[in-house]
Amino acid sequence: MVRRRQFLMSLVGGFLLPLLLPLLDRLRLGKIARRFLRPPGALPEKKFLDLCIGCGQCANVCPNQCIELSGLENGLENLATPRIIARSRGCILCMACTQVCPTEALQKMEPTEEGRQAVEMGVAILNEDLCYSYHGRTCGACYRACPLPGKAMTIGLYEKPTVHEDQCVGCGLCEQACIHMPQAIRIIPTEEWKVLKRERV
Amino acid sequence: MKNRKGLALMNLSILTRGGVLLLLILFALWVEYINLKNGYNNPRLVELSSGKLWRWFYEYSDAFFSLFGEPMAVMQTNGGMTWSIRVFGIPFTDPVALLSILTKNLHTPLVFFLGALIPIIMAVLFGRVFCSYICPASLLFFTISRIRRFLQNFLYFPEIEISSGLAWGVLLGGLTLAHFYSHGIWALILPYFAVGQSLFQGIAFGVLAPSVFSLCLLSLSDLILARQFTCRFLCPTGQILGLLGRRSAVSIRRDAPQCISGCQSCDLVCPLQINPRLDHTQNCSLCAECVAICPTGCLTIGVRS
Repeated sequence: MVRRRQFLMSLVGGFLLPLLLPLLDRLRLGKIARRFLRPPGALPEKKFLDLCIGCGQCANVCPNQCIELSGLENGLENLATPRIIARSRGCILCMACTQVCPTEALQKMEPTEEGRQAVEMGVAILNEDLCYSYHGRTCGACYRACPLPGKAMTIGLYEKPTVHEDQCVGCGLCEQACIHMPQAIRIIPTEEWKVLKRERV
Repeated sequence: MKNRKGLALMNLSILTRGGVLLLLILFALWVEYINLKNGYNNPRLVELSSGKLWRWFYEYSDAFFSLFGEPMAVMQTNGGMTWSIRVFGIPFTDPVALLSILTKNLHTPLVFFLGALIPIIMAVLFGRVFCSYICPASLLFFTISRIRRFLQNFLYFPEIEISSGLAWGVLLGGLTLAHFYSHGIWALILPYFAVGQSLFQGIAFGVLAPSVFSLCLLSLSDLILARQFTCRFLCPTGQILGLLGRRSAVSIRRDAPQCISGCQSCDLVCPLQINPRLDHTQNCSLCAECVAICPTGCLTIGVRS
């Protein structure tokens, strides 16, 4: 009887111990909420978080080393989940990460032209006020970096880039390549873009 | 005079755990290797851009992987942490990860489920062998228990006894938290996952992972509260594997007529405090410390009768 009571007491105690962890979320120590992308083939954000276990296999096979694992800076719910910060390194769409995900949080994609076009990581948004090409200095760095040139991005006079939202997969190579500081072209993650689009309408 | 067979097993357990730790470190380093392979694919270029050390590492990794086939492709069949790992294409899944996915989604991908079969079968056959032969965190706690034993010559440390209900509570709390946040929170709770996270983030990205702090906390509780506190009372995986291996096929066996009645050396030395002398073998991790210390050699590891 005493042992059972002890067991139940410590069961309750143990249950409460992990529930202290959300307090870490309250401490806003060095918290910089940067906009980040999920690897290619990722399910919608909520479903992705339901399945991702943070094992880091996608980060392990990434040949570009662009997938990194989150710390606490994006909140407890994003802890240990993979992310891509496009400005530091964009995704080269090799699809190695989608082949290894054990929980299918990243759906399998083929490293072919069709497979690349099926990716929906985000949408590139061009800020024409910052872009060199729109101010008479030909640049075209983003167009050279784009893996889907002519489809996701076309180029005009003085190498003025135009992004085609429906074709852009949001790999982030243009944002990485942009020579302006701060970057004139940014990737908006798909989820955020849907919300923004709704607000515009 | 210690039992040589037991000592050999203890050394083996340290070696295998060290091997797992080395594998985790190599996995993190191989991220860099893959990057160099993709960027240069030539030892001389690697040396020019990253130095001689990386060149050696690149060349030896290349030589090792080319034993099995195309180096880059072989490397990409490896990856992960003790939480969910693939070694040469064979997936292993932690039972807690499976439980966490199941309670949240009510279904699980097939590969993920199959990966959990090997650890479960191993637990049914051998008990908690994961704890003393694979878990990289238990190597840390093993070292800390030795430090604690040394410091006990000069200082007083309490030996707190809590029921194993604490670990089951941590499991329930963790599952609840995983339901509302994500499965990544286990990186702060499970010590072996925390080791994997800290090593991977530290080596591959040069980032101090939050898991490092939880590891420090767990180590401190091990040092101050009780011997092997985390393994005995906090780690839910150990309890699950112990429950699965309740009637494990292989266990510690005692030859009763040989045993000296007043001798308690095995009870005192057992890191999990399960009293081998009383034939309690639930939760046994076959670490063989009791086999090594037994003065008459009446304890052996064998098939349960």
